[in-house]
Amino acid sequence: MSPQLAAGDRLRRLLAMIPWLAERGSATFDEIGQRFGMTEAEIVRELELVAMCGLPPYTPDRLIEVLLHDDGVEARIPDYFRRPMRLTPAEGFAVLAAGRALLAVPGTESGGALDRALRKLEGALGDHGSVEIELDAPVHLAAVRQAAERRERIEIDYYSASRDEMTTRAVDPHQVLSLEGHWYVEAYCHRVEDRRLFRVDRIREVRPSGDIFTPGPVPDRPGPAFRSSPDTRAVTIRVPPDGTWVVETYPNEVLEEHDDGSRTVRFAVGGQAWLERLLLRLGPEAWVVEPEADRTAGADAARRILARYR
Amino acid sequence: MERVERLTNLVAVLLDTRVPLTITEILDRVPGYPAGEAARQAFERDKRVLREEGVPVETEAIEGQDQVGYRIPPDRYYLPDLDLSEDERIALHLALAGVHLEGGEGRGEALWKLGSAAPVDVTPLAALPALPELVALHDAHRRRATVTFGYKDSGRRRVDLHGLVFRDGFWYAIGHAHDRGEVRTFRVDRMVPPIEVGEPGSYEVPAGADPASVLPRQPWEIGAGEAVVAEVLVDAVLGPQVRAELGPAADVEERADGGLVLRLPVVHRPGFRSWVLGLLDHAEVVGPDDLREEIVAWLEQVAAAAGGAAS
Repeated sequence: MSPQLAAGDRLRRLLAMIPWLAERGSATFDEIGQRFGMTEAEIVRELELVAMCGLPPYTPDRLIEVLLHDDGVEARIPDYFRRPMRLTPAEGFAVLAAGRALLAVPGTESGGALDRALRKLEGALGDHGSVEIELDAPVHLAAVRQAAERRERIEIDYYSASRDEMTTRAVDPHQVLSLEGHWYVEAYCHRVEDRRLFRVDRIREVRPSGDIFTPGPVPDRPGPAFRSSPDTRAVTIRVPPDGTWVVETYPNEVLEEHDDGSRTVRFAVGGQAWLERLLLRLGPEAWVVEPEADRTAGADAARRILARYR
Repeated sequence: MERVERLTNLVAVLLDTRVPLTITEILDRVPGYPAGEAARQAFERDKRVLREEGVPVETEAIEGQDQVGYRIPPDRYYLPDLDLSEDERIALHLALAGVHLEGGEGRGEALWKLGSAAPVDVTPLAALPALPELVALHDAHRRRATVTFGYKDSGRRRVDLHGLVFRDGFWYAIGHAHDRGEVRTFRVDRMVPPIEVGEPGSYEVPAGADPASVLPRQPWEIGAGEAVVAEVLVDAVLGPQVRAELGPAADVEERADGGLVLRLPVVHRPGFRSWVLGLLDHAEVVGPDDLREEIVAWLEQVAAAAGGAAS
């Protein structure tokens, strides 16, 4: 049940609904409700209002003709409202970005039609090649998507970046989606007995099991919250002046800015490997303020890797 | 009368008229305005609401006492006939249903305007960040208007945009930077609002401009200077990830055990070092010798760093 919309929002919705009705001639309340997200009561209210609209002198022949039936409406719309308003800049961008993103998904079914539609849209907007979307294409993407479509359990050899370890797990893939430019599979993991997000480009091998699983509930939409692993902890690091890119890239809290341009920053660390990577990249001028147990994390990792070079 | 009824009639009158109408004429024709001076104020507020909702109310100078007339020019109001076939329309609906622009607006209404199609029940396939600046940048590019924005650590920049590219989770704006006199790339999340948009039609995008190709593929490709070919061994455990990251064009040789030998053109050594060290124990820089020595020296410094030194 939507709260009362402001007049501007209602107007915008009406300016879209009226031409939509004009194109169809008639629609059921169900159809209108599904398209515009309105209850029957809201629809009737708006249509009764529309019936009072038109051109001066607002005699019956000059009003928008709306015939309300038990389950729907018939409408005869005058010329000036038969075509929808142009796309606003936000809408134009939304359609182009969404369309180009879908085209970047490997194996998009409606690729040809979508490409043609986007070209027509770009032509009408006077806008060509303004937006390009690139998504990565991990080698096992097709196999994982197929398993998700079939609801087939798979065994994966998976590299956990935060722990820098390979594990083999049986997972029930529910959904495969691209988040912020990387492909993830949202799956029930039998090893931890919980739902997890796995990066598809960290899957070394996929082995179909032949077993079909019953899907659990679909989360609203996996997002950053969903991605936080259970073993995050806080580590405070002195970041040197040339390490500011770090502050941009990872969620953090700047506790203090120092005169020499360095900063004391607290991070939520997910796994030892994550901390090692951060410290190795920041270099010899960075150091762990606390906890004490992590003070040698960077040096230990560096020594370990040096063994490979000697 | 509800205000939205008056607003709808106002749009109808302004769309239908062939000539600009004065306030007096508008107040005379559109029902629901209060009496007296309040009427003018109500009209001004209505005009603002219309414009906020994207309705192009144009103001024109005219002869006569009122001096100003209003109308909505049809060629600026209506969506041009896109001549979409049924499957093309469905394809757009699928795209809008399947791709989420996180934090972006405009998706819902765009669907309405693109015509009817059976509602699609599609689980989201992709989510991209949609930074608020993107709409302004996109619109400026479309109208060939120069943009000016603050950019982290490098002051205000004036740019003629050639295109917007989303890659590796980040949005980039590519265009001719006035201060540098050449094409540059900018991370949109590093722009400091507000973004000023200049006059439309201020520049041309050179024929054959290919914004995506200008964007350096990898951090180690950034910058001027000669590239050195780095040879890197990567363990099998990271094979798929590294392949996905480098893309199909990279020089990657796979060994029998699944490990990789990479040959990468390196210009920006800190960027290269950062990436290689991110692979931890699973990568080794084989050559050239001086690059390998640089990595070793860096690791030795980190291994020796006292840490916790009083500053």
